[in-house]
Amino acid sequence: MANLDAADTTFRPKPNLPPPPNTVGAVGWMRKNLFSSVLNTLLTLGAMWLILSVAYTLFDWGVLKAVWVAENRRECLDRSPDGACWAGVIHWFNTFMYGRYPYAEQWRPNLGLVILILWMLPCWLPRVTGKIGIALSAVIIFPFLAGYLFAGGEKGLILQILVSAGIVTFITIWLHVLSCLLTGRSLPVHILGITGFTDKDDRLHKYPLIGAFGLALIVVLILQSGWEPPEVGTNLWGGLFLTLVISGVGITTALPSGVLLALGRRSRMPIIRVSCIAFIELFRSVPLITILFMAVTMMPLFLPETVTLNRLVQVIIAVCLFAAAYMAEIVRGGLQAIPKGQYEAAQSMGLNYWKMMALVVMPQALKLMIPNIVGNFIGLFKDTTLVSIIGLYDLLLMLKAVSQNPQWNGLYLEPFMFGTFVFFIFCFAMSTYSQHLERTLGSGQVRR
Amino acid sequence: MSVDEMNVAASQIKSQVQNEVVIELVNVNKWFGEFHVLKDINLSVYKGERIVICGPSGSGKSTLIRCINRLEEHQKGDILVNGVTLDSNLKNIDAIRGDVGMVFQSFNLFPHLTVLENCTLAPIWVKNTSKREAEETAMHYLTRVKIPEQAAKYPGQLSGGQQQRVAIARSLCMNPSIMLFDEPTSALDPEMISEVLDVMVGLAESGMTMIVVTHEMGFANKVADRIIFMDQGEIVEQNVPAEFFGNPKSERTKLFLSQILNH
Ligand SMILES: Nc1ncnc2c1ncn2[C@@H]1O[C@H](COP(=O)(O)OP(=O)(O)OP(=O)(O)O)[C@@H](O)[C@H]1O
Ligand SMILES: [Mg+2]
Repeated sequence: MANLDAADTTFRPKPNLPPPPNTVGAVGWMRKNLFSSVLNTLLTLGAMWLILSVAYTLFDWGVLKAVWVAENRRECLDRSPDGACWAGVIHWFNTFMYGRYPYAEQWRPNLGLVILILWMLPCWLPRVTGKIGIALSAVIIFPFLAGYLFAGGEKGLILQILVSAGIVTFITIWLHVLSCLLTGRSLPVHILGITGFTDKDDRLHKYPLIGAFGLALIVVLILQSGWEPPEVGTNLWGGLFLTLVISGVGITTALPSGVLLALGRRSRMPIIRVSCIAFIELFRSVPLITILFMAVTMMPLFLPETVTLNRLVQVIIAVCLFAAAYMAEIVRGGLQAIPKGQYEAAQSMGLNYWKMMALVVMPQALKLMIPNIVGNFIGLFKDTTLVSIIGLYDLLLMLKAVSQNPQWNGLYLEPFMFGTFVFFIFCFAMSTYSQHLERTLGSGQVRR
Repeated sequence: MSVDEMNVAASQIKSQVQNEVVIELVNVNKWFGEFHVLKDINLSVYKGERIVICGPSGSGKSTLIRCINRLEEHQKGDILVNGVTLDSNLKNIDAIRGDVGMVFQSFNLFPHLTVLENCTLAPIWVKNTSKREAEETAMHYLTRVKIPEQAAKYPGQLSGGQQQRVAIARSLCMNPSIMLFDEPTSALDPEMISEVLDVMVGLAESGMTMIVVTHEMGFANKVADRIIFMDQGEIVEQNVPAEFFGNPKSERTKLFLSQILNH
């Protein structure tokens, strides 16, 4: 102890001891987290028993004793009275997906889905430029193309132009993507090169681009004029397809209209502000089901009698208004989190209001709002099941309809299990993707 | 040439430059509700002039310079910048803001953009500069504030001093003819203050018209052509640094100087 030799009193760290046994690895983890005390051990065992027995019962019912092939419910019950009758779900699977959409035309919804996926896919590809434009075009132009693809029938000139614009945009996007991936340069650069505009003034660059688009539009307009798939009335749309159409339109319009409403609510112009507040508060304080009823029964009263509204359109409008009001409040919350200094810095550099909002404020606010926005989307997706109450054959009503069919009378558990699974897949995917977005978007800015 | 002769020559050059008024405030008054923040402010700033504004907290210094690019609205009197009157005409305001840079106490960099993007945002979107040109300008000014190597980082990854230098570079990228600084160093740790002040001294030497709100009296003494002392919304005293520090006239100035210099 009394050693005063300088060399010995200097601090020398001892080498770290190895961790005590039974604190590392799976065994160590379990000892620490599951069996650290008597109470903890009891809880662990109890919970395990619960999980196992539920899992086993489900497995026994849904797999071991399940019937996969049968003509009707009677047969299911005869073969295995306390097993699941998946034969019913399989028999009705097509109806769950498409409702009463004619079997021969079901390639159209499928094609629509494929086009949508291909349309959005470039947003996740590396080295592709103009992703915001691609995503925006999917929101703005794709719905017209898809809408016509699904509904078919005669098309007026405006619809023809919109459909052609959709086709041209889709082709343009993929030419652009291939050009980016293969040559590393964007499509506009190539067009400028071919037309010899590369060296000209930047302001002239838009003309060959607009020209090329216009030319393609005219060609497609002529080519598509003969294309007229048979009409499929929206009363035949149903199942998951209908659910996706309604919630898809609701989700894509909710964000832009919510942003506008939120900005309007903060506007300095009293008329805009008051009407935005009135709209938001009205639609937020009424349940969706009421809005749906109002849309179906009241909307015709405001329109001239000659206009007959499509019920699906009415419902979609109602869902969009409802979703917009909710989104507006979420966006407002996000806007409030942006410090005043950001606005001032943007203003002091001469950015006008819209540029300030679009370039500085909204990107930051939206990033903060991702969890809320996606939560709202999930809620909206599930809420669309309410349209079954006013007689649209969405997935939920289709599931319910099975039990009323004479052949499958009383079969409701299995269809609902299936529905649960479908909704879970979609909602879980959205939730997971939102967490992924949060992580990747937030990575650049550790400190603020 | 003797030192005296040089000083005379310099002051002649200065007076030649100085005869052009770029900012003019005439009887400017401002209220926050009932509270009278700015009382009959009269001020002319000449081209190339470096003005330091000081005064106790709450005296209206920030409010005054924020009125010059209309981040705050004044209620009475006239403010002219480059001969253009600031009123509710949005075109005028945007034109003036493009020509008047501002650096804030809390940097106010855009955290979602990289340093380079921070610097190119306004040139691209306000002045319609091409992206390549804007990036060249940005790198030029980032080099001038001595942090070109940080261009690809996000503001959150930089130190306070570095952030403030980026903020200065960001303003300079708009090629402003006037720069306003609102306590640019008071949010910084002491060891970072000098790196920002060095940049500002360099800027002053390049002939930029500058209005700087600061408590850095060393800086004021070194670069200011004129020091303005404000208290309770009034300009109490203004003078060249030597006179201001050596021979303050008003009691309030003396009190303020004794407080700030004894720190
Ligand atoms: N937006 C506002 N609304 C109401 N009062 C305000 C507002 N901004 C500033 N004030 C008040 O105006 C007065 C002057 O503020 P200003 O920020 O100009 O002072 P300052 O001289 O810059 O002080 P400091 O050295 O603390 O920055 C202060 O009393 C402040 O409380
Ligand atoms: Mg201040």
